Amino acid sequence: MKRAWQIMCLAFLAAAIITLVSSFGYSYTDRLGPGPGFFPTWLSLITGGLSLALFAQVTWSRKTPFTPGSPLPEDRAGTIRIFIILAALVGSLAFLDLLGFRITLFLFLIFLPLALGMRNWVIVLIFSLLGSFGVFHLFYYWLKVPLPMGVLGF
Amino acid sequence: METLQYWIHGFSVATQPVNLLYAFIGCILGTLIGVLPGLGPAAGTAILIPITFNLDPIGAIIMLAAIYYGAMYGGTITSVLVNVPGEAASVITCLDGYQMAKQGRAGPALGIAAIGSFIGGTFATMALMVVSLPLANFALRFGPPEVFALLVVGLSLVTGLSGRSLLAALIMTMFGLLLAMIGMDPVRGAPRFTLNIPPLYDGVGFIPVVMGLFGVGEILLSMEAPVLEIIKTKLNDLWPKREEWRVSAGAIGRGTIIGFFLGLIPGIGAIIPTFLAYVVEKKVSKHPEKFGTGVIEGVASPETANNSYANGAMVPLLTLGIPGSPTLAVIMGAFIIHGLTPGPFLFKERPDVVWGLIASLYLGNVMLLVLNLPLVGFWAKLLEIKYQYLYPGILLFCILGAYSLNQSVFDVGVMVVFGVLGYIFRKLDWPLAPTVLALILGPMMERALRTALEMSGGDLSILVTRPISAVLLIIAVIVLASPAVRLFGKRAGKD
Repeated sequence: MKRAWQIMCLAFLAAAIITLVSSFGYSYTDRLGPGPGFFPTWLSLITGGLSLALFAQVTWSRKTPFTPGSPLPEDRAGTIRIFIILAALVGSLAFLDLLGFRITLFLFLIFLPLALGMRNWVIVLIFSLLGSFGVFHLFYYWLKVPLPMGVLGF
Repeated sequence: METLQYWIHGFSVATQPVNLLYAFIGCILGTLIGVLPGLGPAAGTAILIPITFNLDPIGAIIMLAAIYYGAMYGGTITSVLVNVPGEAASVITCLDGYQMAKQGRAGPALGIAAIGSFIGGTFATMALMVVSLPLANFALRFGPPEVFALLVVGLSLVTGLSGRSLLAALIMTMFGLLLAMIGMDPVRGAPRFTLNIPPLYDGVGFIPVVMGLFGVGEILLSMEAPVLEIIKTKLNDLWPKREEWRVSAGAIGRGTIIGFFLGLIPGIGAIIPTFLAYVVEKKVSKHPEKFGTGVIEGVASPETANNSYANGAMVPLLTLGIPGSPTLAVIMGAFIIHGLTPGPFLFKERPDVVWGLIASLYLGNVMLLVLNLPLVGFWAKLLEIKYQYLYPGILLFCILGAYSLNQSVFDVGVMVVFGVLGYIFRKLDWPLAPTVLALILGPMMERALRTALEMSGGDLSILVTRPISAVLLIIAVIVLASPAVRLFGKRAGKD
């Protein structure tokens, strides 16, 4: 856990430095008062300072603010399930505009239950049809919520 | 007298059949969100915003508010039956609620929670009605320095009371404020940190961030151990016995007062009132050693405080425009989507919305009671849905909700990225609420500070020479520096 906290502190420190450097590109003051660079400059300085302070506390202080133990999932199966979810989300992200809501979500809802261990194809099929075409009908036609149609037009 | 007239007007709005229907649907959806593991009230409310796109603003806000307080009750069911809080405020209910369920007393536990929630919610709404108009009128005196100081207090509270490490909570607040810098400068209108990506000109979408941090992140975490063990118990005896009533009456009264008054403090969040209500109940009890073994007052008090807080927290949102929790921040976002800005001016400009919403809280509490007592068995059945269907179903609505806000796949991407971040932050025990509140309050804060500095010609002393602003900033410092507040935040975070 200690290593993970240290990495997170360094990540925030890096983000603060990048923001600070970027904020130099905006005027700190203008003729009316503080400019667009004023707030980000101070925020990034404070973030950087806090990140360093927490890094020092985690590294050298006896009083650790975290619970001992590993932040990683306890078993391999849990890790695999997390990656399955992420893969499905990234896939839907990639195909949503191209294939449209119905087909993308149909594939999404077929893939996930099967990948997570469901084997009843009939229920999975009904679930994915309702979740994709059914939900599309409800939101697009009934609630008038705009949803992507895809290159196939449906 | 003026309040009474507004109150009557509010009831005439809230009792319109269509608004009653929206409140009813909101209560059902809210309870559903509270019941379903992996979907908290913040993400749940955010996901359901698209449903309200084509409703009139009053109906939309009434429905979203009903979802909010419905979820507050729904979380109890999982706390009692599965020992997993449906939302963070129900954490403390697990201690005695789950023990009661193991002893075959899940019915009275859920029954007293529903009744306590009703009483707490109703009294808090009455108090909300009394204090909101004077407070809104007082807030009209606030200039930019006071607004800035007030926002600092709100963020200090949410930071000071979040998690175990003050430094980590402060970093998370800064992270939210930095995210809020992306997009158009709120004073001059110049683009900042947009990386020439067109969707970023509108800033990082607040709703996709909430869905990611609280929805996707929670689901990823749940995936580590997704199978819940449900207590098999009879749920047909919901009405508490005479002795249980006797010990619960005081607990409900104290929970109501604690919940409402803590709800008035912007940024305090829903966990602290329930935690404090439980601690107080244990202190005043003749048998404190029995707490944690299944005493009914250990359920009655925090559950009452929970719903009393939910309605009390509407006060800072409606009168000052400051959300006290991530869920209220989502509701504030919904106000903005529907062209309304919460704050003192809303009382003048749209009294129909404000008073219609307040009146709907009364009706919603009655609906929740009527809905929940007979339907507890049905809600419990939902817990038996296999996670292989439940979580993909929730993710489906996350994708739909994120996309439909701006018809942008970019927002879905933002949601996924923040989902991963939410998972990591949860694993590290870094608080998420400060980031969310800072993200929505950041532009207001920057605008207020810069306008204040323009007023003073760049002199920062304007923040401490005006009495209200000075007092508020002193409060903020006390909140962050006070060991008592820190200890309380740590204990709440630990639980």
